[in-house]
Amino acid sequence: MSKSSFMGVERNKIDWKPTIDYSRCDYCMECTKFCPHKVFEVKENEEIQLIVRNPDNCVVFCRACSKICGPDALSFPDKNATTQRIKEIRKELAGND
Amino acid sequence: MIENYVILPCNGLDKCAGVISGELAIKLSENASNEIICPVFYRVAGAKYNKIASEHPLLVIDGCQTRCASKLAAEKNLKISKKLTITEEAKNHNIELKRNLRLLENENALIEIILNGLINTDDKITPFSDETKFVYNFEYATFQKDKFIFRVPKNPEVYFNENDCWAYVIGNRARIGVTDFVQQNLSDILYFTPPDIGAEIDQFGEVGEIESSKSIFDLISPVSGKVVSINNTLEQKPELINENPYESGWIAELELNDFESDKELLIGFNKYFEIMKKKVEDFNV
Repeated sequence: MSKSSFMGVERNKIDWKPTIDYSRCDYCMECTKFCPHKVFEVKENEEIQLIVRNPDNCVVFCRACSKICGPDALSFPDKNATTQRIKEIRKELAGND
Repeated sequence: MIENYVILPCNGLDKCAGVISGELAIKLSENASNEIICPVFYRVAGAKYNKIASEHPLLVIDGCQTRCASKLAAEKNLKISKKLTITEEAKNHNIELKRNLRLLENENALIEIILNGLINTDDKITPFSDETKFVYNFEYATFQKDKFIFRVPKNPEVYFNENDCWAYVIGNRARIGVTDFVQQNLSDILYFTPPDIGAEIDQFGEVGEIESSKSIFDLISPVSGKVVSINNTLEQKPELINENPYESGWIAELELNDFESDKELLIGFNKYFEIMKKKVEDFNV
């Protein structure tokens, strides 16, 4: 398994990343300072100054950046759906063995 | 009842949640010998407040998740006894906060709800706790990087998720907590927000929050079930999580729903120890 995996599933097959609501984001950049995994990237001098650059670096089930987001501009996928999907992929992988 | 507390509120005068924090602090100070710390004055002249903050329990009221008041408390090394966040309270009570800086019907209603909650707080602090006797005979494996030591219990009854939380399973009960990787990363833990007793938790659901001056960590439950007990000692001594996150620093006890199914997505000592070592190598703790 490649180094980028979670519970035996390739990380890029798991949909778990923050989505930025630009109508709320005030570009305080607290999330970029907070997240040690370099999920976000600051784009200075551009109209949209913050993007999700490395979604696969995001720790699956971690929502901590949304907790420190003052304007509540970050959201995540449904956890149960993600768990279910991981289980399905693992079953598929087991079936292929 | 919040009585004889010092109250450190958010001072966000340009945001609705900040104004609510201030008003709530004023209302609390009108009753029961509570005293307000002005965060602005505290920054420039600490002596006045250091004394009262050391002599009384501290209630921190954050306006939003930027947590300026909590951060100030951490900066000043204050021990937080209770804490609430206005935007979270609004969400929990389905009250939408807008951009107005004057308190209107919604904002006043929220203040009343929070006040009532704080007045009845004693009922919430001592919930029914149905705790199992967990015997600890853990044998630990140790990994060291620089001055940091990481221990992981080798016992087969202890399961882990890849979010650095553990579950010690006995029968249909499990104690859960965080691993050394989490506590070393967070450094000195200052505050612990427990889950509610009786709460139904999904596997990988949030089951509390740990906060240090450095960061904040959501506990991702390795197992699904009902919270039957929490480690009340952590309210006064959150540093136990730093001292021993597997034993005295346990977080909560759950009555398990379907451990056989949960187990599918959990790992044992061997696998977790390897994952943790890699994380330690990849990150600067």
